[in-house]
Amino acid sequence: MKLKRGFLAVAVICLLAPWSWASATKPQKWTGSQTSPVHQIPLKDEFDQPIIPTEKNPLPFSAKYTCAPCHDYSLIRKGRHFDAMTAQSAGRPGEPWIWVDERTGTQLPLSYHSWKGSRNPKELGLSPWDFTLLFGRHMSGGGISEPGEKSGTSESRWNVSGKIEIDCLGCHNASRVQNHSEWAKQVLRQNFRWAATAAAGLGEVGGMASRLGPTWDIFDGPNPDDSEWAVAPSVKYNKSLFDAKHRAFLDIAYKPGDARCLACHATAPAAAKKFNFEADVHTAAGIACASCHRHDVSHDMIRGYEGEATDNPALAAEDFTCRACHLGAASSRSGKILPGRMGAPYPKHFGLPSVHFERLACTVCHSGPLPANEPAVVRTARANRLGIFGVANWTTESPVIQEPVYIRDKNGKLTPHRLMWPAFWAEVRGNDITPLKPDQVLAAAGDLLFPEKSATRILAALYDVVGPDGTPALVMDGKAFEMNADGGLDASPVEGEKKNGAYYWAVKKDGQYSPLIPDFDPANAEAAAAPEAGIQKILEALAADPAPGKPVLAYKSFLYQLIDNNLDKSESKNPAAPAPQFLRLKDGKTQPVIPDEEKRVIAALAGSDQTLTEEQVALVLKALGEKEHAYISGGKLFRLNDKGKLVAKDNDAAAPVAWPLAHQVRPARQALGVNGCTDCHSSGSDFFFSKVKGAGPLRTENVAALRASSFMGVGGLYHRLFGVSFAVRPIFKIVLFICAFVIGALLLIVFLVALGRLAGLIEKRK
Amino acid sequence: MPLFILITVLSVAAVLVRLAYVRFKGPTSAGEKNPAPFSAAAYGKWLAGRIAPAFSKEALDKAQDIYRAWIKEHYPGPLKWIFVGFGASLIYLVASGFFFALFIGRGMFGLPLLGHVMLGGLFAASLALVLILRGRAYRPDQDEASVLESFACPVFKNLSGTRLRKFLFWTFAAFGLVQVATALGSMLPVFTFETQRVLVTIHRYSALALLLTAIVFLDLAVIPRRRP
Repeated sequence: MKLKRGFLAVAVICLLAPWSWASATKPQKWTGSQTSPVHQIPLKDEFDQPIIPTEKNPLPFSAKYTCAPCHDYSLIRKGRHFDAMTAQSAGRPGEPWIWVDERTGTQLPLSYHSWKGSRNPKELGLSPWDFTLLFGRHMSGGGISEPGEKSGTSESRWNVSGKIEIDCLGCHNASRVQNHSEWAKQVLRQNFRWAATAAAGLGEVGGMASRLGPTWDIFDGPNPDDSEWAVAPSVKYNKSLFDAKHRAFLDIAYKPGDARCLACHATAPAAAKKFNFEADVHTAAGIACASCHRHDVSHDMIRGYEGEATDNPALAAEDFTCRACHLGAASSRSGKILPGRMGAPYPKHFGLPSVHFERLACTVCHSGPLPANEPAVVRTARANRLGIFGVANWTTESPVIQEPVYIRDKNGKLTPHRLMWPAFWAEVRGNDITPLKPDQVLAAAGDLLFPEKSATRILAALYDVVGPDGTPALVMDGKAFEMNADGGLDASPVEGEKKNGAYYWAVKKDGQYSPLIPDFDPANAEAAAAPEAGIQKILEALAADPAPGKPVLAYKSFLYQLIDNNLDKSESKNPAAPAPQFLRLKDGKTQPVIPDEEKRVIAALAGSDQTLTEEQVALVLKALGEKEHAYISGGKLFRLNDKGKLVAKDNDAAAPVAWPLAHQVRPARQALGVNGCTDCHSSGSDFFFSKVKGAGPLRTENVAALRASSFMGVGGLYHRLFGVSFAVRPIFKIVLFICAFVIGALLLIVFLVALGRLAGLIEKRK
Repeated sequence: MPLFILITVLSVAAVLVRLAYVRFKGPTSAGEKNPAPFSAAAYGKWLAGRIAPAFSKEALDKAQDIYRAWIKEHYPGPLKWIFVGFGASLIYLVASGFFFALFIGRGMFGLPLLGHVMLGGLFAASLALVLILRGRAYRPDQDEASVLESFACPVFKNLSGTRLRKFLFWTFAAFGLVQVATALGSMLPVFTFETQRVLVTIHRYSALALLLTAIVFLDLAVIPRRRP
């Protein structure tokens, strides 16, 4: 009866909710007050019902209904951060979402905007559900993560997880408890409708929707059958935030603080130390992100690039470009813009020929790292998962993003860009190259993409043998490999070890590696007793490993194996093993516990952020079907030739994907060109001639290598000549000065003579 | 920029048409005068009839003869190379400068720009030498006191060929100085970017004035006055 009444109530609420939300918003007109109201307001759930924190199992708060009385949610949904799938004008390219799958070596730039090089998720078969799972950690809700009722796909679980409404507090919460890590964690757990509540610190959210069955519904409440694993999400509100009328205090900032923006938009050089990292000069001057990147309630945010007003005529975008604040502008939608907005200094640019202003964006000289031999590698929040803290390390080294690379924008101006090199497995049909999803590759490749599998299984088994004080390790080629928390291998150098391909199993104690089985004489029964006891333990542990074959140990001319749980020592039929060597005995034949190809891959990738070798790629291509498939990495397309050999070729699909950068803006005294023309115009300047090398998950020498000038579309030879001309320019200037002096002096004489004659002061010569 | 293109096209066309008209009105090589009153049709027909011969081999030969005679008279011996450098640099500077200004929206760039800068130096040096070597031939004499009077409208009407040549010579030199000075100014770290823009504008318009002066000087001083 109670359940029936509940259903009725929910049905009524569901019917009325959209109407009440749509009708509740009252347009807000600014009165001129420069203060924001204190948001001591009733929280509403997704059914527009007030939240009573003292109730049993309260629902998470809904920004949609909590904010709706004053703020037009339907209008906000069309804003910059939420409209990727529906935006009419995407403007200049921005950073794509990059689908990184380290195991398959996939680094695929995705965007719902038609930006060059980025793939549309729809074309790859990624549903809004998939996309939200992949990138919801750094999404702000709304848009594709809040799909309509009929947009569910077979694999989606929106009914379990809820939708991710626009997380208003994700940006506008001024409270220091706003926690982006919590947001990411809740999204990972598929606790979509709870994420905003948890991230804002309004309450504590427990349970994981990802572990619940597909039929679970929010009305089902807690799972009475499981309180440990499949625990339904729930929220315990922080009651101290509520007053007696159940109104919660939300510390709302009209302009979001920089920390909120940087949670998703931070960028920093990969090699930088935190203490040494320079913030944007505007930040240092006290200017907030939102001071320039403004918007009204439509949330149609100004990006601030030149030409934005053409892309989005509704915005007063030209008022907030570099030029507008620092130089002023003759005309704009809001009339003449005077320089000096927010105290912007007026740059004189002494000695800078005006052609630079016609052909270069301001950011060329003022933003990003200074050009060097090679572009700097940077990490971005969204690509490298920055800003998510916890026990697990979320941050990834891949994808490798490089900057600055100077590329012309649609107005023909050089603009500094970031770029990344796509990496993916692909189906090739003629000129069409269609990326494969990582799970398709994994299904075909099987263990080929898990080369460390044999080693990690053995290391896992050895943990019981070495005891709590030790750590089992594989020592090979001067490196020790230990298991990490993710089940992979971490490599560290070991001094004094030869790089000859030989390996042994070791135990690490107090930072020192010693062989798991010490040298002993198997023929000396007394001396061998203790080591043989250890061997028995190890063989027992390895026997639990499901790998095919029976574990045995070959040492010198003996072979140890377990027979009926007893250690058996017999003469080996194989050549004598100089060091203890674990093998697998199958069908009377022995084989290494780590196949040679796996050993090669482990050794090749040790200490590297790369995850694939050419040998693996060749094997996976064979597994996928060598004729129709390819792998792209580092700016090259890899295929098998007729002889089955891996060959690299250039291909448009392997070209880097670039997007303009605007920050970090450096102080004027660190601008490019502050040291003179030769900062750029010299025969070997980094600006024109730095080398941009392809980077990707594949460990190979076959990567694209391009000069910076090739990205600019300018002739390298010309700029070398032009650069050389600057070497003689001081002399040239002196020559010009002398010539100008001579010409000027003669003209002056002529003028004076003519003047003298005119005045009769000088007589004509006889 | 469109204003500069307009001014350039109109002013160059006006000067050429005016000079052609003066030549049309002048006596022929046979000493015949053009009959008055002025007939636009006759002028147009005469002008059209001159286009093809202007590109004929005879015209080229004639130009070479004029050039050789000019060199022989004014720049004998090794001094010839000063005039060659001066003339070649001037031709390149005018051709490259006006081609890019008129037809290429983004202005001059690449190797033509590099050549423009380098030959700008040659032009400055050769102009200074030309002034040193040939300046005395154009020195102001006592009659120059009446030059100002000669500028009463209609322009040039009362100005003798000699005075006009002197005036054009030194005017050319003055615009040449502006060219050199603005180019040099753009290379020095003393002017703000707004001043740099002004310098470029001055450079552009003084180049046009220099070109017009050179055309008139060439017509007046080098090419025979008598029409065919």
